[in-house]
Amino acid sequence: MSSSTMSRRTNQPRTTPKPGAKAGPSLRSSSANLSGWGFAAPFLVFFLVFLIWPLISGFYMSLTGKSLTGANESIIGFANYAEAFADAGMWRSLGNTLYFTVISTVPLVLVALVMAALLNIGLPAQWLWRLSYFAPFLLASTVVSLFFTWMYNPQLGLINDFLSKLGLPKVAWLNDPNVAMWAIVIATLWWTVGFNFLLYLAAMQNIPAQHYEAASLDGAGAWRQFFSITLPQLTPTTVMIVLLQILASLKIFDQVYQMTAGGPGGSTRPVVQYIFETGFTGYRLGYSAAISYIFFGLIVLVSIMQFVITRRRSA
Amino acid sequence: MKQFESLTGKQLSRRQLLTGSALLGGGLLATGLTGCGGAAQATTVQDIDFWHLLSGGDGIKMQAMINSANQANPGFKVHPTVLAWGPPYYTKLAMASAGGRPPEVAIMHASRVPGYAPGGLIEPWDLDLLAENGVTAENFAPRIWEKSQQNGKIFSIALDSHPFVMFYNTDVAGKAGMLESNGQLQEVSSPDEFKAMALEMQKVTKAHGLSFGYLGLGSQMWRLFYTLYKQHGAEIVLTPGQPMKADRDAAIESLEFMASLFDDTIAAKSGDINTGIAEFVRGDSGMLFSGVWELPTMKKAKLPVDAATIPTLFGTPASYADSHSFVLPRQLTVDEEKRKDVYKFVSDVLKGSLSWAEAGHIPAFQAVVQSQAYRDLTPQIHYANAADIIAYDPEAWFSGSGSDWQTYFAEHIQNVLLGRDKAAAGWDGFAARTNNLLSRPNPV
Repeated sequence: MSSSTMSRRTNQPRTTPKPGAKAGPSLRSSSANLSGWGFAAPFLVFFLVFLIWPLISGFYMSLTGKSLTGANESIIGFANYAEAFADAGMWRSLGNTLYFTVISTVPLVLVALVMAALLNIGLPAQWLWRLSYFAPFLLASTVVSLFFTWMYNPQLGLINDFLSKLGLPKVAWLNDPNVAMWAIVIATLWWTVGFNFLLYLAAMQNIPAQHYEAASLDGAGAWRQFFSITLPQLTPTTVMIVLLQILASLKIFDQVYQMTAGGPGGSTRPVVQYIFETGFTGYRLGYSAAISYIFFGLIVLVSIMQFVITRRRSA
Repeated sequence: MKQFESLTGKQLSRRQLLTGSALLGGGLLATGLTGCGGAAQATTVQDIDFWHLLSGGDGIKMQAMINSANQANPGFKVHPTVLAWGPPYYTKLAMASAGGRPPEVAIMHASRVPGYAPGGLIEPWDLDLLAENGVTAENFAPRIWEKSQQNGKIFSIALDSHPFVMFYNTDVAGKAGMLESNGQLQEVSSPDEFKAMALEMQKVTKAHGLSFGYLGLGSQMWRLFYTLYKQHGAEIVLTPGQPMKADRDAAIESLEFMASLFDDTIAAKSGDINTGIAEFVRGDSGMLFSGVWELPTMKKAKLPVDAATIPTLFGTPASYADSHSFVLPRQLTVDEEKRKDVYKFVSDVLKGSLSWAEAGHIPAFQAVVQSQAYRDLTPQIHYANAADIIAYDPEAWFSGSGSDWQTYFAEHIQNVLLGRDKAAAGWDGFAARTNNLLSRPNPV
């Protein structure tokens, strides 16, 4: 309060209002500026302390041989980056992350769309469907992981029990390198599809009913209406969901760490786990920071590509 | 106008909020002062933070030992913090020590000490202070005391040794005709004899002869492998900057024997640790390879169980083991009074470790091991000889219990055990991975 009155006082002699013009607006804007900064300050402080500063210090760390024990803090240039680019473990975990992103994003978007479309038809007991589709999203990753680890248990698990009752062979869900990633995708799908479903449902319910009325007057059937009205109207939502989903899938860590710990044979280890292992259990913080920055670069690249594609579409 | 009114309303409520905060702040201040008063009153009682990774039955036993140490020593109060076993524990301990604000005392596996001591994450114990509290080298088996040292200094004080052993169901073994007249399992001394024994037990259980849960768990695979490998009289030497020195033939023979067990008759092909233990507890197998820490589970299940060290199948008696050991994480500033209390606490726990033996572990403190009370504990006494043949992990900054190295072992060996890969290929892959670690700069 006192600073704004001070500024008003000091500003007063300088402002020489033109005849007929009001002095109000400029005064108001300068105090509005101050209060604007005041409102933004808590966020700015957090932004600087928890985002910008770690970003700078992390990059600096990636140029050093820093260890968790505090040894080797001297700058070694881009040696960590050179080592990372030649590290088969990093490429493999990066490949696993991209593989997971590709095979999880498609069902996470499509299943959400189908679920929302089914509900939008006007099924009875809407609240029950909405709740049951969205409820798993509220669970903690540990709960979901534990739940699915038991379901996937090769000897005692519900799924293999069901398969054997059908006369089908048992599957080593989390222990077969060819199946483990898919098992994690299924668990992730069950857990997180509710969020995308909710976004789709909200978007669908915002499509004006007149469009459908007009289409049905023109003789368009349900499928025609879905493909010619619903889907095109959902394009911005789809773009947003795909973008959010890709970024979320790239950051995969929790459920993999808890369900397979990156196994079997490293076939599910995502790059975030590799970063954790090199830095915190392998003690090499500098090297770990370098891999983080390579991964960061990849995420930025994906975001830019998304941005360009979206702009081209909307242009 | 309406907006303006609502704003005024908000301003008022904000003022109320401020008043509320002031009251709350005052309240907190008062509480804080009470807290200070409490602390001032309790200047004579030292608060000692103690981190450990012992959960389940082990955790309950440890808590009981802490309680009795606290009761016996009104001058201090030990506050334990229990963290999850494996990487989460060791990561947190390393980070707390690197930051200089760790607990006053912590439990570590002896095999992890080589990854902590050279980097200064833990501090050596003062032998004089230990002796003042009645703890000297003579109180420990030579093998365990030797393991406590790094560069001639004592960095860890072992509470126990906990080997990988063989539990067996005496009912099943008896029906299979595999018990000696003293009620203990017949001795076998070759891989074929062992498999024949397991097949006899399988005929009784109609399910499997042996349970061994290993899927997805590097530590389990490593424990059995290293026992069998060391039974060849072979060594693994890990020197940074040099390739791993190991006996490839012994490794391959051990792996091939392990893989031959998982034929769905002797043992289940796809068994994880939970399945393996559950199967043995149900009586669907005659034997279980696991750590001594599973004993309380067996007793709770009222299983007719006995135990022995894993039979010597390749000539040299050996048993994979590790030790829960007390360490002093590096403090920014050492509080000498607290440290003295830590020595007292540790010595009290060591002397009272009979209770720890009840949880299955072999106490490290010799006075306890030699006591009649320990000799009366069965089946503990039947594998107490393991303390003389224990094999700790090869020393390196990256090896030891719950380390990434064990995970890498699983990455290359699981497919061998599942019959999808040749033992030689699995071992060579693991060796290459290890050599890669050895070739990199040592971070500690």
